[in-house]
Amino acid sequence: MFGLNKIIPVEPNFNFLGLRRNFLIVSVIAILISIGLLSIKGLNLGIDFKGGTLIEVSTKNTSIGELREILSSSYSDVSLQEFGSENIILIRLQNKSNQESIETVNSVKSLIQDKVVEFRRSEFVGPTISSELLFRGFQAVSFALIAILIYIWLRFEWQFGFGAVVALTHDVLFTLGLLSILNIEFSLATIAAILTIAGYSINDTVVIFDRVRENLRKYKKLELVDLFNLSVNNTLSRTIMTSLTTLLALVSLFIFGGEVIRPFALTMIIGVIIGTYSSVFIAVPTLLIFKFRPQDEDD
Amino acid sequence: MKNYPIWKSLTVLSLVLLGIIFAIPSIIYDENSENWFLKNKINLGLDLQGGSYLLLEVQLDVLYKEELENFADSVRLISRDNATKIEKIVIEENEVIVTFTDNNKIKEIRDSFFQMYRGVTLKINNNKLNIKLNDEYKKIIQDSAIKQSLEIVRKRIDESGTKEPLIQRSGKKRILLQLPGVKDPERIKDLLGKTAKLTFHIVDDENTSALQNNLTPFGKIIVSDIYDENIKYLLEKRSVVGGENLVDAKGSFDQTEGHAVSFRFDTEGAQKFGKVTTNNIGKRMAVLLDGVVITAPRINSAITGGSGIITGNFNAQEAADLAVLLRAGALPAPLEIVEERSVGAGLGADSIAAGQIAAIIGMVLVCVFMILIYGIFGALANISLIVNLFIIISLLGTIGATLTLPGIAGIVLTIGMAVDANVLIFERIKEESSKQKKIYQIVKNGFDRAMSTILDANITTLIAAVLLFAFGSGPIRGFSITLSLGVIASMFTALMLTNFLVYLYLSFANKKELNL
Repeated sequence: MFGLNKIIPVEPNFNFLGLRRNFLIVSVIAILISIGLLSIKGLNLGIDFKGGTLIEVSTKNTSIGELREILSSSYSDVSLQEFGSENIILIRLQNKSNQESIETVNSVKSLIQDKVVEFRRSEFVGPTISSELLFRGFQAVSFALIAILIYIWLRFEWQFGFGAVVALTHDVLFTLGLLSILNIEFSLATIAAILTIAGYSINDTVVIFDRVRENLRKYKKLELVDLFNLSVNNTLSRTIMTSLTTLLALVSLFIFGGEVIRPFALTMIIGVIIGTYSSVFIAVPTLLIFKFRPQDEDD
Repeated sequence: MKNYPIWKSLTVLSLVLLGIIFAIPSIIYDENSENWFLKNKINLGLDLQGGSYLLLEVQLDVLYKEELENFADSVRLISRDNATKIEKIVIEENEVIVTFTDNNKIKEIRDSFFQMYRGVTLKINNNKLNIKLNDEYKKIIQDSAIKQSLEIVRKRIDESGTKEPLIQRSGKKRILLQLPGVKDPERIKDLLGKTAKLTFHIVDDENTSALQNNLTPFGKIIVSDIYDENIKYLLEKRSVVGGENLVDAKGSFDQTEGHAVSFRFDTEGAQKFGKVTTNNIGKRMAVLLDGVVITAPRINSAITGGSGIITGNFNAQEAADLAVLLRAGALPAPLEIVEERSVGAGLGADSIAAGQIAAIIGMVLVCVFMILIYGIFGALANISLIVNLFIIISLLGTIGATLTLPGIAGIVLTIGMAVDANVLIFERIKEESSKQKKIYQIVKNGFDRAMSTILDANITTLIAAVLLFAFGSGPIRGFSITLSLGVIASMFTALMLTNFLVYLYLSFANKKELNL
């Protein structure tokens, strides 16, 4: 019909593996920077994981400065932020104990009552809960990685599982590093985003690995580097196509989905790009460490 | 249709039809419909419809401490019966250590104690008796406290007039509350913030030196006034009668005292109350709520009717709420709010609107893109994509899943990822067409070859989604549900519906060549 797919050659023949050393250096540097950032700067933890109180209000003819003035006279640790539009303001407070927080919400509300049109939401997470949520988040991510590793191991050879997990760990660390540098809030939704990125990235990797396995059977004499290159090229248009449609949906979510969902959408956009990159430039080259040949295959 | 069995067409078409039909209730979304069919709609999560989520923790430590004090009191009584003197009693975190002046009757004391509290760990060490609150004993206390608390919380919430609350145990010592439509949970929090332990005690106004020196004689307690901490009362520790003997309580208005709570005792309570008031005319009777005195009127005459009023500086709402608390009964231990999330209806409506726009625009973008790239085949994939969306909605509706804001994000994400299976198939068909001449063979090979890749790729995503559900909480679960359903639905639509549509197209267009 329109035939725009002709832009991508039907049988592309890019030498992806030839570039592997350059990209490996790029990735290693990125990961080192990410680890450095995570240990020095850390993540911008939201109240889910830090505990505290959050109140979202819509105001009438009141500037954020006015509200800040009213509240900072009573609270030293209050922070205010415009949220999507000028008259929607997010108020954050750190609280020590559970009891204190309940009182805080009430007193904040009464202090700014007459400046506010609507209290859109209020959230409070106690210190015990926030540490539990953090623990469970880590648990979910680690179990997911292990389960995926086991699945790939069963379906492919263990070398593939290794390659996939190297790529996944790369994606998670890289994404966390970017979250840290961009100061994007790390919340429960971010954990969901990271797990989805893991799912997406592995999805991408599996499609290429599937082709590697098939080609290992088909071309028994081909050099491994060439065989891997061929496999990446075979699946290239699919890789690009799926990333683009996913990114289209995510960009739409980022722009139109509302303020609350924006950090999630942004994290996913970052993750999808990194995940696509890593499938081609990390997962596949990792397989080169192993000297496996078709005779290892089970058919 | 050529090369396509009729039974397969019928299966695909009927599944598609079911998917569309069962999406109708959620699309119409008649909130109050009682119609059996229209009731199968998506439940909106609190973040979309507005409401409050509260997580309460039962303060078990208070109960353990109480039980340890009971141990100490019982040991005192038992040793008195056994004519043994106690040198000292030390209450520690998990045990009571009683030191006797001699160890002549320590075994008898231990045995009588064990009769009263089976399950505790008792150890004798010369003239010391260790009473330990062990883990099994704690678990019994814990379970019964949570059960009781759940019941009381349910009663209180019901009395407050909240519609369709969800109240359930969460983990070992927590209670989870979902209150749809409750915009401002302050009143609910007030209702739950009180233990509401009501007791009546005789006031000792004679022993004035005890109050002055702040020394509590055995069998007495010193408590403060609810309105002024500096006003102290010396009361008999033993209560005359307690809230558990109440059968009714309601807010009332008294000409001289203002708003009050009138109450009625059951037969047992009325008898006890009658007896004590008869014997103590002229003394004062303190009404204690959660350890503070609300009021302490003088007993002018015997009260044998079994009913009375509690006065205080109440306003109408306070009197009504106190009545609710008294009717529902006392909590075994205080509840602490450890997590709270409240969303106003305005934000919820905004989120739904934004989610819908994002979904529609994402959908249009993906559809346009697919047509640009794959032409007529892209259009076929788009039909699958739309049906896919219907199936997700109908599955959510029929299993009664709750749609949350992250859930909407999951749907939008699925729109982008769902075409993946179609893309895999089309790319395979493209490859096959360079090796084959027969058009149906090309299509068949394309689908067959793509199948295992599609399965592998989607199962890994499903693993991530299932683990998200298992370890995630609240809103995250909503996301994992829509993501899982989306993945499952997209496998069906790609492998069956797109397949069907491609064959349908080929047989009608009578193509000799694929222009993919």
